[in-house]
Amino acid sequence: MADALVSGTTPQPLLIVGDPQAAACEGDFCAIPEHHEQAVVNRALDSDLV
Amino acid sequence: MSEVIKVDIWSDVQCPWCYIGKRKFEAGAELFGGEVEVEYHSFELSPDTPVEYEGTPVQYLSERKGMPVGQVEQMLERVTGIAKAVGLDYDYDHVHQTNTVISHELIHFAKSKGRQLEMKERLLKAYFVNGEHVGRIPDLVAIAAELGYDEAEVTEALESHRFLADVKADVALAQEYGIQGVPFFVIDGKYGVSGAQEAEAFANVLAQVQAEREPTEKEAV
Repeated sequence: MADALVSGTTPQPLLIVGDPQAAACEGDFCAIPEHHEQAVVNRALDSDLV
Repeated sequence: MSEVIKVDIWSDVQCPWCYIGKRKFEAGAELFGGEVEVEYHSFELSPDTPVEYEGTPVQYLSERKGMPVGQVEQMLERVTGIAKAVGLDYDYDHVHQTNTVISHELIHFAKSKGRQLEMKERLLKAYFVNGEHVGRIPDLVAIAAELGYDEAEVTEALESHRFLADVKADVALAQEYGIQGVPFFVIDGKYGVSGAQEAEAFANVLAQVQAEREPTEKEAV
């Protein structure tokens, strides 16, 4: 465990990186970003081409 | 020599994006190629769900969110398709919607034995793929026994809720970080990555952490 996580002290603020639209669950709802669906469609199309 | 990069992951057993994100993170770590140490932390998406919820996930979401059944079914079909793309066979027809707090206690129990990652994977598979119940103690004990744990010891740990404080500590820490959704990845105690990102995104952050460490290591030579 990272030191800040062990000590029980307030962790340092995080630098948020990556795609802010990435799929996640909040509460009991798990949204599906549209670009995520498009990526699956694209992957399926790629497979068809192979 | 590069140090191991620590990755703390907040996740819930009944979070579809957490299992998908786990696979994507694993692919990202492989792309990165360096040494990574993962520790999972508990996050309860729906702590008020009863253990013995009788309905299906479709009914659950429809009731809780007021969404038409057809819309929920379509949504779950899409998630199932996305899971399939990362090699996971989600079976929502047999998923048992439940309260996951005791499954988190079991993950902490496994962590106390140095086997957290194995249990995390097994419980995600239990919920999404195998249609096993991950809320009841006897069902969780059976899963643990399958992995070679002593049934009496696991039963005692879960019935006494010895690890509940650890679950709650994880949830409290998530709040301190401002984590609102899962999966959530804290990389090197510094970078936060939210959601089931593509593998390349994880690889990039890991590479960034490694690159930031390199000058210090050279200076030390």
